[in-house]
Amino acid sequence: MPGLFPRRSNLFGTVVVAASLGAVGFASIGLGAVVVGETRRIDLGQKAAPGIDSIKSQYKRPATIPFPKENPYTPEKAALGKKLYFDTRLSVSMAQSCASCHSPGFGWGDGLAVGVGHGMAKLGRHSPTIVNAAWGAIFMWDGRLATLEEQALGPIEAAGEMNMPLDKLMDRLASINEYKPLFAAAFPGEGMNAKTLAKAIATYERTVVSERAPFDAWIEGNEKAISEEAKRGFAVFNGKAMCSACHEGWNFTNDGFQDIGLPSKDIGRGEFVPGVVKMQHAFKTPGLREIERRSPYMHDGSLDTLEAVVEHYDHGGVDRPSRSDLMKPLGLSAQEKADLVAFMKTLTSNLSPTAVPVIPR
Amino acid sequence: MHKTITFALVILTGLSAGALAANQMVYQKGRVFSSESVSIKKGDALTFVNDDSIPHNLMSATKGSEFNLGSQAPGTSTDVTFKEAGDIQVICAIHPRMKMMVKVTD
Repeated sequence: MPGLFPRRSNLFGTVVVAASLGAVGFASIGLGAVVVGETRRIDLGQKAAPGIDSIKSQYKRPATIPFPKENPYTPEKAALGKKLYFDTRLSVSMAQSCASCHSPGFGWGDGLAVGVGHGMAKLGRHSPTIVNAAWGAIFMWDGRLATLEEQALGPIEAAGEMNMPLDKLMDRLASINEYKPLFAAAFPGEGMNAKTLAKAIATYERTVVSERAPFDAWIEGNEKAISEEAKRGFAVFNGKAMCSACHEGWNFTNDGFQDIGLPSKDIGRGEFVPGVVKMQHAFKTPGLREIERRSPYMHDGSLDTLEAVVEHYDHGGVDRPSRSDLMKPLGLSAQEKADLVAFMKTLTSNLSPTAVPVIPR
Repeated sequence: MHKTITFALVILTGLSAGALAANQMVYQKGRVFSSESVSIKKGDALTFVNDDSIPHNLMSATKGSEFNLGSQAPGTSTDVTFKEAGDIQVICAIHPRMKMMVKVTD
């Protein structure tokens, strides 16, 4: 969407009036069919801080996995999707599968700072986990893909990643006899094509859900499930450190885009919304489930430990116009930092081993 | 100096009269728009209120009706006047689940 957003234009007179009215931002007047008036302060009234039980109720695990009505779950689709997910022949080199960068052994990431693509070349960003992708609102660090089905095809086609043109891939899969009955069972009458390929992989990915962690037991009432240190960390997470402003809900993300002040030249979401200041250097907020198994951290893999992540947020990062208004020095004590890390470690489940499927020949 | 004050007063009076006409309000508490769809007449304004606890960044990429409020702090409101008929999608650039439609009629 390049160039869609004209810069604000301010008229001197309007600014004078806005100042007289106690407006908090500069008034702006659009030149097109929409006129933006001044921004005013309003009184939202004093609200009492929510109690611990109210906060805890926002973190309950969902009972079921959401599947879109355009691509409902069937066991046949998920089973086919799993074989495709682990099949290295989806890359032009026949050496990389989806699981190469999103491996169950590394919390469904790859344990590297940045991903490795075609020809073993380093990519620009950290391979994100696919854990709990079923709940995603938008995909990729920069949000360039709208659905998990689109996401499934993205890295296959990307020249720097698996480098495999989809028509060539479908020809290759069609030559593998054991795939034909699997597609026929999963997609009766739909055939083998890029669309059914994407639907199968996305269905399998949606079944990859973080298992119950000590944190879940505590949310459900077992006070002994996590340490007192972790409970204090949960309070800091939702209070002084404001982590929950973005890492909210049971999966610890609202899928929002924020510039958290990492000193990187990568503009992330800004590439797709160039006129919006707050989207420059902004990346999608990742969930925090299984976070202890997912180091190194951040979109660029620049921080090795959870302690370093907490230090980054306590410092506030690079102060620039795009930096989220939520980022500021926090003044956390050593105890509060340790408590936050202890809390995040309670989000680690005993992930049961994932069996690698027998690949069709 | 005197002229400037008069100028400001004239505009202030005009704005106050405008403010008396009650705009439809759209709220954003809990990272959700209070309405999925709002209908207004051409030339009327909507008041977007950030009654949430965190900043939002409302904008539209609908062709011909693009706008961008920038970072809107909690506890502030902004009026947006729509001068052309049509369906205009308003989103929050930060929070991808926040989408609503403004239906502007003649």
